[in-house]
Amino acid sequence: MLQCVFLLSDSGEVMVEKQMTAHRVDRAICGWFWEYVLAHAAGDPSKVVVSPTHYLFQVYRHGVTFLACTQVEMPPLMAIEFLSRVADVLTDYLGDLNEDIIKDNFVIVYQILDEMMDNGFPLTTEPNILKEMIAQPNIVSKMLNVVTGKSSAIGNKLPDATASFVHWRTTVVKDASNEAYVSIVEELDACVNREGVLVKCEACGDIVVNSSLPGVPELTLSFANPTIINDVRFHPCVRFRPWESSQILSFVPPDGQFKLMSYRVKKLKTTPIYVKPQLSSDLGNCRVNVMVGIRNDPGKPIDSITVQFQLPPLIASADLTANHGTVDILADQTCLWTIGHIPKDKAPSLSGNLRLEEGLAHLHVFPTFQVKFRIMGVALSGLQIDRLEVKNTPSAPYKGFRAQTQAGRYEVRS
Amino acid sequence: MFGLQASSAAASWVVGRMGTDAHLYDDPEDASIPALLDSRFDADRIDALKRLLALIAQGVDVAHLFPQVVKNVAAQSLEVKKLVYLYLLHYAEKRQNEALLSINIFQKDLSDINPLVRAWALRTMAGIRLHVVAPLVLVAVKKCARDPSAYVRKCAAYALCKLFDLLPEESTTLEEIVDVLFSDNSPGVVGAAAVAFKSVCPNCLALISKHFRRLCETLPDIEEWYQITLIEILLRYVIARHGLVKDSVMFASNLSLVAQGGVTVDTMSYTQPTSVGGISGTRPNIMLLRHYIEEHPGCFDREDDKFSSPSVTTSTNDDVAILLKCTSPLLWSQNSGVVLAAASVHWIMAPVEEVKRIVGPILFTLRSSPDAAYVVLGDILVFAKTAPLLFAPYDEDFFICSSDPYQTRALKLEILTTIASESSIPAIFEEFEDYIKDPNRRFVADTVAAIALCAQKLPSISSTCLEGLLSLVFYESSITNSVHLDGEDIVLVQAILSIKAIVKIDAASHEKVIIRLVRRLDKIKQPAARSLIIWIFGEYSSVGNLIPKIIPPVLKYLAWSFAAEVLETKLQILNASAKVIIHSAEEHLEEFKRIMAYITDLAACDLNYDVRDRARFISNLLPCGKTSLNENDSTCQSHSQDIRKELADHIFGGKIPTTSHSDSNYRIYLPGSLSQVVLHAAPGYAPLPKPQSMELIYHTIKLTRDTANSSESNNSNAESESSYESGSVYDSESEGGGLSDKDATGSSQYPNDDGHNLHHRQDNQEAPLVHMYDDNVDQGQTGRNVEDNLSSLISTDLTELMSKSALESWLDEAPALPAVQESMQKSIARVSFTNRSFERKPKLHTLLDPSNTSGLSVIYAFSAEISPISRLLVCIDLFVENNTTDQLTDIIIKSEEASISKDEMDQTSEGSASIPTLAPVEEIRSLAPQQTVKMILQVHFHHHLLPLKLSVLCNGKRHPAKLHPDIAYFVRPLPMDLNAFLCKENQLRGVFEYARR
Repeated sequence: MLQCVFLLSDSGEVMVEKQMTAHRVDRAICGWFWEYVLAHAAGDPSKVVVSPTHYLFQVYRHGVTFLACTQVEMPPLMAIEFLSRVADVLTDYLGDLNEDIIKDNFVIVYQILDEMMDNGFPLTTEPNILKEMIAQPNIVSKMLNVVTGKSSAIGNKLPDATASFVHWRTTVVKDASNEAYVSIVEELDACVNREGVLVKCEACGDIVVNSSLPGVPELTLSFANPTIINDVRFHPCVRFRPWESSQILSFVPPDGQFKLMSYRVKKLKTTPIYVKPQLSSDLGNCRVNVMVGIRNDPGKPIDSITVQFQLPPLIASADLTANHGTVDILADQTCLWTIGHIPKDKAPSLSGNLRLEEGLAHLHVFPTFQVKFRIMGVALSGLQIDRLEVKNTPSAPYKGFRAQTQAGRYEVRS
Repeated sequence: MFGLQASSAAASWVVGRMGTDAHLYDDPEDASIPALLDSRFDADRIDALKRLLALIAQGVDVAHLFPQVVKNVAAQSLEVKKLVYLYLLHYAEKRQNEALLSINIFQKDLSDINPLVRAWALRTMAGIRLHVVAPLVLVAVKKCARDPSAYVRKCAAYALCKLFDLLPEESTTLEEIVDVLFSDNSPGVVGAAAVAFKSVCPNCLALISKHFRRLCETLPDIEEWYQITLIEILLRYVIARHGLVKDSVMFASNLSLVAQGGVTVDTMSYTQPTSVGGISGTRPNIMLLRHYIEEHPGCFDREDDKFSSPSVTTSTNDDVAILLKCTSPLLWSQNSGVVLAAASVHWIMAPVEEVKRIVGPILFTLRSSPDAAYVVLGDILVFAKTAPLLFAPYDEDFFICSSDPYQTRALKLEILTTIASESSIPAIFEEFEDYIKDPNRRFVADTVAAIALCAQKLPSISSTCLEGLLSLVFYESSITNSVHLDGEDIVLVQAILSIKAIVKIDAASHEKVIIRLVRRLDKIKQPAARSLIIWIFGEYSSVGNLIPKIIPPVLKYLAWSFAAEVLETKLQILNASAKVIIHSAEEHLEEFKRIMAYITDLAACDLNYDVRDRARFISNLLPCGKTSLNENDSTCQSHSQDIRKELADHIFGGKIPTTSHSDSNYRIYLPGSLSQVVLHAAPGYAPLPKPQSMELIYHTIKLTRDTANSSESNNSNAESESSYESGSVYDSESEGGGLSDKDATGSSQYPNDDGHNLHHRQDNQEAPLVHMYDDNVDQGQTGRNVEDNLSSLISTDLTELMSKSALESWLDEAPALPAVQESMQKSIARVSFTNRSFERKPKLHTLLDPSNTSGLSVIYAFSAEISPISRLLVCIDLFVENNTTDQLTDIIIKSEEASISKDEMDQTSEGSASIPTLAPVEEIRSLAPQQTVKMILQVHFHHHLLPLKLSVLCNGKRHPAKLHPDIAYFVRPLPMDLNAFLCKENQLRGVFEYARR
């Protein structure tokens, strides 16, 4: 049972305070929490913090800390998942999430919080239903507000879906364009150790469906090679039985875009690109050389390649240049090398010199290189959609498929 | 160009803020809020309310505007309503009186045609928590629980939780509403009912039994938050009802069964009882079990085997099977909380070979919900400690990635060391080698510690570990000498600590390592590191063949450097040299003694007290040459030398008690609980119920249900039959009737079920399980049979001779019953006894509330015991508890009226019988804080329902109290033999009539 939810800004200011139960929580707890964050955790606090009076749960998104307090036993994951759901819903509502947006739309934030939680327990968390209860701010309503001075964000009717068995779908979907898009979005996690060996390589994918279908459609999605999937998790709309028996996804979709399924394919053999960092140091100098190239051509262009690493501590100066792309050293001692495409004629490389601090001959800590890239049109795990059947619609809908892979936690140690 | 960009950015910012409520947040008080609140226009009022909300958000107290806001609750506009509600909920508790003004509007809104308005009114009305209106809310909740709109019913369930705080005494009524909501056919309402159940009557698991199957089946359809709650309730129910599963992890003696296919199982490494983790054979599992169910220590006491026999079931049990079947798809939920809740059901209840299905989904949540990773890892750690082989094949999931926060890294390291096996250790070691170069030095130190733990667990790799650690020590010492940075030396110190831990296992075979470490001494400057090495040198100075050879130069070096050392190193040098003296062979002893004398001389002049102290102590204990003061009394000298030697051996040679890993006092809580994350029992944490603790209740419910179902006319029969069952019937079927009269007629049924709600933990005497059923089928031959069965089943004390006086004690002044004729027809009710034990929980009443009596709390319960003084007296157990922090003295309980004297006791004179009287009780001299004393009160109620007026004297103050009698306890058991029973029974018209026909 959550007693209170606070939204804190990046400077520790309390932006929103919503008491959930009779056991009120004084906002002094936020001050305690902020001091704790600054003192102990160096900006890296645990998700569950024990304060002298309360147990605190926190989720951090885009500069906003969502803080919840309780004094009694409750499933901690319920609190954490709820806070991240609040963050997701607010992002969805307000288009983005940051300190200013929260303050500008504080009334909506309050209304959403009130609807999402009652007496410290989640009440209505389904975004589709919430949107019917509390109108989303958009350009039209804002203009109307400016011109007429009136506004009503509160829906005056109870959404029908609250009573239905498919609680994620609004019963009457208006002006549906009769389309369904399925996209596979994969993230490649890889870890290359200091010897250059690929320790771990796996793909984590989401199947994102954007449906705009009238009525109550029945969708069936099947894969050509479902056996390669190791782990799955589903949106509540997916029926478990067909998946258990024959690995088919059968569902009534919510309206709009949603994540139908997440999956993981483990033990992949190769990565599409290689990154080879070399750091050698002596006499207070450290030579850096990073090479990037295509190892295993996926057949589609690889773009938005970046390589990022934290400069080691005890560096007096850094002088890094690349033969392709741009090198920036950011404020937090991070070096960002933006490559973009890999050119055909040359292999991009970053080289340069790090000057170590006085008295230090060798580098004793080595940075980890985070690699980002994006490939459109390919799912690197090899997962393929066999077909999508849509039943229960008045006319045959338009169906579209696409795939995309990007780097997730792709790390190369040096 | 830049200016243009900046202005366009500013413009877009302005556009972005336009139409939002930004100006209200920035400057909420730039308009007169009270005036706006009184405006006739909704727009103005909304503006004012939004300003108030902004002030609340910023932490300004605007409670003074409460009256103006409250009157707006009558507004038609929903937006005004919603904003007023937000304000009301925030301040209602501070302004109770003004909040009452809004109640009429709520009442009106509750019958609005718009379900949203009804729901809001209910939520707010219950949310403002006024004690005065609680009964009104109860009525509203009752009504809304049958509302046509599912959303309103859902809100009714939430309102129940709020009501329970206000009206705990109405818990029976609230339970009935929970029951109604559980029977709802909308999954959302059922889910909300689970939430209400959890807060209203979490221990009233009997309520679940009739819904169990349906609840399991709706589990996949309800919303994720409710799933988490409902799964937990169902798990508790199944354990209370059926007990634990015999072939689950809880009882598995050898967890090698859990191993996955492709992995070579090396059980040896896990079954060594000496290994650090203490991961051996059956012990941790029984320990796990104890941690989960610890509330009832009685059933685990001496022998664990004994426990496993009565309260286990198998996974083929229907209810267990259906729970497992319905929770297994939830392992695919997108909510990590649901996954963990479902996984813990499987962890506790599933057969060992099926537990592995939880591993994949749990590990996937680490990737798919990164926020949850910290909590999930904590639970995985417990799983992995119990069944390391379960997670052994998944070591790469625990490899640390650079974005992991420190807490996650530490947990992952611990899991890696736990699951490391001979086959996976090379890969894990390669990872560890990489981690040592990580910029986070604290994490590096943890890694170094983890290496030592792995080496202790798998001795085959210890020499490789030592090599690595040594080179790390050399490397680190060269760096830390050149640069002084905070936290740099923790790695070095930890590396030496790890070496020390590995060497300890088998010092002789690692002596070269010790020598290399000691030779490095002049290069290492860190005081902590130096002292550690000196300690190692001293401790193992006599071990092996090579070390004794290096003692002289090292000792000389230490003596030479002594003056320049810091405090802790100086102390270690003194200790080490003392150890060398004790262990050294004769040939070098003189030389060492000279060095020792040099060191103690230096130390005796040290600036620090401790060093001087230590030097004096050692030089007295181990006289080094110059102590020969008086040689003449040599016998005395040698004697004292013996003692000194003994002492020195004890102090310096004594083996350090092996510091057992924190495992022994390591607490484990239920997986997925907050307590497991914070590692202490959070308030409200409840362990699993005692296995099979609700057996009896279940049976009797089944019984009442069966009989109730048989026909309408049998109702009276069923009731009377159930009331025979020692007052243990939970009257779940009586939806309408059970509500009305709980004082008089139903009282024999209530003590038990109320006792359950109160969840009062007491050891109660065990009673045999009585099982009664009709035996209509073979009516013809029952006569003889029944008698045989009964005489063999019923214990002897029941068949004791029946006396007239005993009969009279049913009602003490009753005239003797007329003689009864032998009836031709025999009873066909059959009673069977099983050896099941169960707890009867008495209904507890409050005599004195601690809030009124400055901390003295007195609770009473009627007991069925017969008073030793007279049968006419009713025994009452009194629990006197001191809730203060001070001693309470001289607690005397006496009747307001005069108490009965000894001689009056057996008399039943009409005169004094009108008021209840109390037998004298001894006083309590003193009561320590938090102490509870049980005493027995004996009261003669004279068969009246008049309360006994008592006065409790405590610390010289008098507290009046009233003790209300319970009519059920006026009735006394009457022993009689079978024939007498049968003929008496035949006289009871109306009870068994239907069977005779």
